Amino acid sequence: MKLTRRATLQTFIAGSAAFATLRAFPAAAQAKGGTLRVGLTYEIDTMNVYSTGFLGDAQAAVVEGLLAPDTHAKYVPVLATEVPTVQNGGIVLSPDGKTMKITYKLRPNVKWHDGKPFTSADVKFTWEAVKDPKFIAESKDGSSQVESIETPDDLTVIVNYNTVLPTFASTLFTFGIMPKHQIEGTDINTSSYNEMPIGTGPFKVKEFKRGQYCATERFDDYWRKAPNGDKLPYLDGIVFKMIKDSNTLITQLKSGEVDLVVQTPYNQAKQVEGIAAIEIVKGQLLSWQHLDFNFKRKSLADPAVRKAIAHGINRQVLIKAQGGFPEPIKSPVVPVFDFYDPNTPDYAYDVEKAKKILDDAGYKAGSDGVREKDGEKLSYSFVIQAGRADDELAQQVIIAQLKAIGIEAKADNKTGVAFRDARYKGGYDLLYSRWITSADPVYSVFWGTGGANNGQSYSNPTLDAAFKKFEASFDPAVRKAAAAEFQKILAEDLPSIPLTTNVAVIAKSKKLKNFVPNPTNMTNFVDTSAWYMA
Amino acid sequence: MSLSYIIRRVLGTIPLLFGISLILFAIIHFAPGGPLDVYADNPSVSKEALEQIAKAYGLDQPVHVQYVLWLKSMVIGDWGYSIRTGRPVLTDIVERLPPTLELGGLALVVSLLLAVPLGVLGAVRRGTKVDGTVTIASFIGISTPVFWLALLLQLAFSVWLGWLPSAGYQSIGNGSFLDRLSHIVLPASVLSLATIASWSRFIRAGMADVLNQDYIRTAYAKGQTSFGVIFFHALRNAMIPAVTVIAVDFGTVISGAVITETVFAWPGIGQLFMESMNGRDYPMLMGLMMMGSVGIIIANLVADLTYTALDPRIRYA
Repeated sequence: MKLTRRATLQTFIAGSAAFATLRAFPAAAQAKGGTLRVGLTYEIDTMNVYSTGFLGDAQAAVVEGLLAPDTHAKYVPVLATEVPTVQNGGIVLSPDGKTMKITYKLRPNVKWHDGKPFTSADVKFTWEAVKDPKFIAESKDGSSQVESIETPDDLTVIVNYNTVLPTFASTLFTFGIMPKHQIEGTDINTSSYNEMPIGTGPFKVKEFKRGQYCATERFDDYWRKAPNGDKLPYLDGIVFKMIKDSNTLITQLKSGEVDLVVQTPYNQAKQVEGIAAIEIVKGQLLSWQHLDFNFKRKSLADPAVRKAIAHGINRQVLIKAQGGFPEPIKSPVVPVFDFYDPNTPDYAYDVEKAKKILDDAGYKAGSDGVREKDGEKLSYSFVIQAGRADDELAQQVIIAQLKAIGIEAKADNKTGVAFRDARYKGGYDLLYSRWITSADPVYSVFWGTGGANNGQSYSNPTLDAAFKKFEASFDPAVRKAAAAEFQKILAEDLPSIPLTTNVAVIAKSKKLKNFVPNPTNMTNFVDTSAWYMA
Repeated sequence: MSLSYIIRRVLGTIPLLFGISLILFAIIHFAPGGPLDVYADNPSVSKEALEQIAKAYGLDQPVHVQYVLWLKSMVIGDWGYSIRTGRPVLTDIVERLPPTLELGGLALVVSLLLAVPLGVLGAVRRGTKVDGTVTIASFIGISTPVFWLALLLQLAFSVWLGWLPSAGYQSIGNGSFLDRLSHIVLPASVLSLATIASWSRFIRAGMADVLNQDYIRTAYAKGQTSFGVIFFHALRNAMIPAVTVIAVDFGTVISGAVITETVFAWPGIGQLFMESMNGRDYPMLMGLMMMGSVGIIIANLVADLTYTALDPRIRYA
């Protein structure tokens, strides 16, 4: 048979179609898949979540804890079958109310990436490893409050606390459970776990190249199933590429070499908006910017001055100076939390009102326009952490706005240790900075009398009482009421002005489906199992 | 040149290195900030945890005690542990050295291959359009900011044309020769542009000088071809001033190209340096800077020795 050119072409097409059909059938069983390439702006120092100096983005896809915060910063069970509460009997307080006992029921049939079963011994080992003084790590939170751990059977863990710790969920076992069989008997500071951790998560580490990437692949024996019964995870793998230069990172988004960037610098968000294959998702963050007063200054201990300053600051200008991304707040409890009280009183921007408050309180402008009373000028040293462009801009805005109401603030910017020292020991009159909290924050450290982070010398017994109610109770209703109470006191007494909260500008490929941002320090990768590339 | 000369030079580097280490140690410790700053915004990192970390790395000791401790262990070959990764400094450095040497080495070889002909061409055709073009091109090359050129090349070859990867050392899980070659093209081009430009200037100046010498006229008078005169008589002498510059540039390869490596996410020494600087990783910084110093000292020694090879009249006693 003589084949014409057209016939050849037709045969070829038919053949290809047949071939494509053949290939399509096995693919149909695993319709959702693909490899997700993530661009990280930092270099992963260690894959151990307890000792990394960064948030554990890559680690979160590999290692799981007993509980994890969801997209609303609420704890949900992961390797445990339920979140222990007083109501379900998971938390039992001692009769004297000074200690507590938490019982976790573990999920059955969970396997480590090497096929070994996950048991209560691993949970107990995690506590022992983390609290070991030889282990160099900064995330030892919650390990010293544990007195002992009992493991009556493979799926039951009883944790005896030497105190009452309502924030237990944001500490130790949530970060991640370590595999006893990989680490025991090795020096955890140099263990292979720090590069190739064995976890129970949806993805296992395939290759960790320092300074380059961490490649993970699907863990076939993962325990989670989709609601429709599909085996999870969908993705074939997630690759975390370490690209420190943010310009290069944006280039990689443009050239399609990266599909997801979870922390796009604000000044580059505009560029990203112009990339056709990319969409921007704004994720909430549990951080807020604040202006703190030092109560050692007589005038700043005067509520009139603090309130006048609150009326004198225009948050919209502050936000504009930071690219328009931060959002205004009136309470340090950021709106993500369900115990945020929207009825918290606030201070509207009103220069005339601010001036009137100061006039009424007897602060009269001197010849240089700066107000004074009883020989004390309203002239303050204003500390921020030097070198942070956004903070430096905000500082300039605040200085200008204070000047408009007759208050002088002089920039006194400090770096590193000097800044930390000033912040914790009160080496400032005014301080602009930010705090980042866990999903289960404690606020008494900031404004409680003698609180670890209270550098303001602020003390208010009524507030202390409200914090105590909030932090000692396991009853959600009591906590919510106490939270509303302390938010009101903070807003009325105003030891600190909460200014703005941040959003994460997440740039993701339009092909990535089921992505859910997570506002907490457990990162956006805390539950990746249902993600897939369309 | 004698063996005793080399031995004396090598011995002379010991007090030099000691002085360098003292100055470097002082500078990085006087710089604001410290290794524990990464935890500054995080209220849940307790004071006890910070103290424990400080103690583990000896950061709670006075600076001079820290220096003596560092020096003592360095002398016996213990470079200490990185505060950032918790791994031995030497392990981290050895891991980063190959990518840096590949990139820097390739860039310098390319530079040498192009700079010599360009410099010679400029000198031989002095005052012509060719010379003018080479000169202008050199000045553009010297004054182009590295990061800007890098961005431009990434945009052209990765985003628009899609021919080359924009960054990285290799594709995930690939790492074949061709794959790595496609990754090295852009950073090596960026890195060599400035060196080609500056070296060709030095070679042109040296060549122009030599071509006016009497022995060149003699060589021509003997009936030598232009090619022979230029490459056998002139070039050797013209290279002497350029050798210092070239040798020192080779010596700095070991320190990595900080900007180029950062922009191209190249996992070499330069990026490690940047990361360690940001994290104030003192032991790592000391290790990297000492290694860089040794590289430059050796390069200088090699430059001195090359003179005698190029010009036997130069003698060291």
